[in-house]
Amino acid sequence: MKHLSDEELVELYYGDHSARAGDGHLSVCAECSTRLAELRRDLEGVKAMVVPERGAEYGERVWKALRPQLIPYEKKAHGFFSKNWAQWRIAAVALGCAALVAAAFVGGRIWERHQKVTTTATNTSPQAQQRVVLVVLTDHLDRTERLLVSLEHADSSDREENAQLQSEARDLLASNRLYRATASNAGDPVLAGALDRLQGVLAEVANDPNLTAADLERVRNEMNTEGILFEIRVLRARGTEEMSGRQNKLGSAKGATI
Amino acid sequence: MQANDDSVVRAVLAGDKDAYGVLVRAHSAVVFRAAFRIVGNEADAEEIVQEAFLRGYQRLESFERRSSFGTWIYRIAVNCALNRVGRPGIEAEYRHGEESDSEEKTVQVAALDAGPERVLLSREIKAAQEMAMRRLTPVEKTAFVLRHLEDRSMGEIAEVLGIAPNAAKQAVFRAVQKLRRELAPLRGTA
Repeated sequence: MKHLSDEELVELYYGDHSARAGDGHLSVCAECSTRLAELRRDLEGVKAMVVPERGAEYGERVWKALRPQLIPYEKKAHGFFSKNWAQWRIAAVALGCAALVAAAFVGGRIWERHQKVTTTATNTSPQAQQRVVLVVLTDHLDRTERLLVSLEHADSSDREENAQLQSEARDLLASNRLYRATASNAGDPVLAGALDRLQGVLAEVANDPNLTAADLERVRNEMNTEGILFEIRVLRARGTEEMSGRQNKLGSAKGATI
Repeated sequence: MQANDDSVVRAVLAGDKDAYGVLVRAHSAVVFRAAFRIVGNEADAEEIVQEAFLRGYQRLESFERRSSFGTWIYRIAVNCALNRVGRPGIEAEYRHGEESDSEEKTVQVAALDAGPERVLLSREIKAAQEMAMRRLTPVEKTAFVLRHLEDRSMGEIAEVLGIAPNAAKQAVFRAVQKLRRELAPLRGTA
């Protein structure tokens, strides 16, 4: 008869589902039943630890000590414009992108006509749009990478450096939120996931009223900034490759038509 | 409770700092209990409660309501406690305090009507248990406390500690094995 392992007995004790199969064995194996009883006796002794009582007034005491340290979040002003600020911002970015795409398209047409080269105009617009998005996103990832590198090597005693770090993090926080939503809507889970993790780090650095050495160390360890930095580098490389791929494609297409 | 907490979180993010007091009052006792069980003394546990709520406030914007605020702040507190038990200075301080502070041990003895021998034995067992707990690594201790005393599932423990569920299970198992080994000499006397 195969007896239960110590690990299985521990799982049984805690009622782990994967160990339920061991129940049947216990009913026929006196040795394993004894071992389980011994384990139960040992572990139940550990339960006797007494936690000092904390009454209803404890929460109030904690709050009183905590309150002076908190800086209020910025009040969101009321009114049509401010209520729809996020939508306005998205619309403005979309409009800006559209204007850039249109300018690139018109510029391209004039340039092509000037060079007397025929091009396939039917797919210029989406290509140009994707290039604009890639350029903007690559720039964002570039700035983010610089911030994460600074964070990795930050000297916590340098107040000026910390202030710059926070200011950059605040700046990136707003744009990152926008890119994260866009990546999520566009069905790019890899990019959305990386930007999501990045959001946490940026929020942490941006909102800390008094960035200390311990805070920086904690952010680095808890939020795995090194891992995020790696992800950002991979994504940035992906963006650069995509851009150069498109340029090569365009170049070879031109070569074919000339 | 969760829907109520969510509306309070929204109010805090809209600039109502005092609304955070509602969350602090509601969840302080649970956070304290978990912190105390991990760090083993009141002063450190109270500091962890403060630290957890301060961190929670600072990163409230990143709270995405996938879990309740209570679970979220609990995780932050466990992480703070884990950092604390992982610091060698604190551990040494804690040991020193334990050795010199006999009053703290008397808080945890058996019933008052027990005889003097029984009380003494109970103290010895308690001290041995505490010593055995201190010999665990921070992750083993935290995983064990969460599973054994806080009755958290392996999935929750894995999430709190940021490790795979199987690694959490292994941490609990190692903790149980170490504790049993340490406490084996007391089996005959208990």
